[in-house]
Amino acid sequence: MSKQNKIILVLIVVAVVIGGLYLANRYWIAPVTAARPQASSGKYPAAPDFSVTDIFGQKLSLADYRGKVVLLDFWATWCGPCRVEIPGFIQLQREYGPQGFQVIGISMDDDVQPVREFYKQFGMNYRVAMGGDTKISELYGGIIGLPTTFLIGRDGRIYDKVPGAVDTERFATEIKTLLAASPGQAAKNFQPAGASGNIEVETPAEANSPVPGVDVSKLSKVELQRYKDQLSKQNCDCGCKFNVLQCRTNDPSCGVSRELAKSQLEKFQKANSRI
Amino acid sequence: MFFKTQIKSVPLVLRTVLAANSALMLTLVLVRQGSAQTQPNIVQAHLTLATPIVHPGSLVRASVTADIATGYHINDHHPSLDYLIPTDLKFTPIDGFAVGSIAYPKGKVEKLAFSDTGLSVYEGRIEISAQLKVAPRTPPGEYTLRGKLEYQACNDHACFPPTSAPLVAKVKVVSRKASLLPARFAVLGTDATMR
Repeated sequence: MSKQNKIILVLIVVAVVIGGLYLANRYWIAPVTAARPQASSGKYPAAPDFSVTDIFGQKLSLADYRGKVVLLDFWATWCGPCRVEIPGFIQLQREYGPQGFQVIGISMDDDVQPVREFYKQFGMNYRVAMGGDTKISELYGGIIGLPTTFLIGRDGRIYDKVPGAVDTERFATEIKTLLAASPGQAAKNFQPAGASGNIEVETPAEANSPVPGVDVSKLSKVELQRYKDQLSKQNCDCGCKFNVLQCRTNDPSCGVSRELAKSQLEKFQKANSRI
Repeated sequence: MFFKTQIKSVPLVLRTVLAANSALMLTLVLVRQGSAQTQPNIVQAHLTLATPIVHPGSLVRASVTADIATGYHINDHHPSLDYLIPTDLKFTPIDGFAVGSIAYPKGKVEKLAFSDTGLSVYEGRIEISAQLKVAPRTPPGEYTLRGKLEYQACNDHACFPPTSAPLVAKVKVVSRKASLLPARFAVLGTDATMR
């Protein structure tokens, strides 16, 4: 093959690859990996507020801890790795509590009794609430594995999400950085002390939606039904064998069906606005 | 030889483009799947009957084969610690059939990162055997047996909520006068032990 033909061949291959990447990103990858819109500008999303009753019947609201550094731990009594972490959280609460730090545990157990027994047996020194029947796990992007831990700064923003159990000394490093900020101020020079998860949060409208994870509050009843019919006709690509609506309902933590449903809502609303 | 001949007949440019596209598509699939945040499909379970055709009043031997994804484990039916959620086989009640005995395999004792002592867990492939009794007056016909394998899975660092794998198998009841076709399914494994 002549040199000129080789150059042409290379250019064709490059053009095909670039074109393919652009189209795939535009219509296939981006809907899955796009970051959620944040409440305001900044790298770290605002921590969704919640208000529940703790395991002893007292009201617990995240807003009550505004200005403090909060470690939010999703766990369960049947989760071995979770149980291993908790003594470390008790120690962190003891050491940094006087400086404006608070641990809050959200138990994903079905029943409160084993949680209360565990609380007493382990001498837990921080607030614990039940998360199973609430929408808290969905507000925090859908909790898939336990433990999952979030670190919230004094400005109410999520600085770190840690899936799985880790040496709690990792959190000590991060907590010190976050405590250095003034109440209400952003942390400076925050660096995760280890591997972190992708931080995704939902608004209350998304968490409480009839299509979990998608804010459909602006749709009329008729429009909502038509939108749900459209979702029922589209298969979810996550490998679940459900359509998008079924996947949303059965597994609200599925990021694939969530993004497909949001993308479909955008198209639906655009099509409706042209009518 | 035939494939090589066919390939050679396709222009070089087209072959190169097709190869590049295939590599691109594979990469994109991996990226997209990696981005998806969803509970991993940890256990695949199947219900098999030793014979799909039975007489009223007979026993049906059933086997549940569960494949547990590499890197994960589920708890023994008799877990080592009281707070662990056991693996449990359950059948949906159906007229004409009753569950007799269920035999779970012996777990493997593993020292896991989050436990000071070894825990008895199931990993890889396991088989659970069960005996189902066909009531003497069960009318001839086709029946669908349903059940679920309840489990709670973990790896070394994280645990996933308790869930279940659905099970289904069809069985045909024929009158005592009718002969049974030769069994087409494998006999139950011999490593299942009664607990």
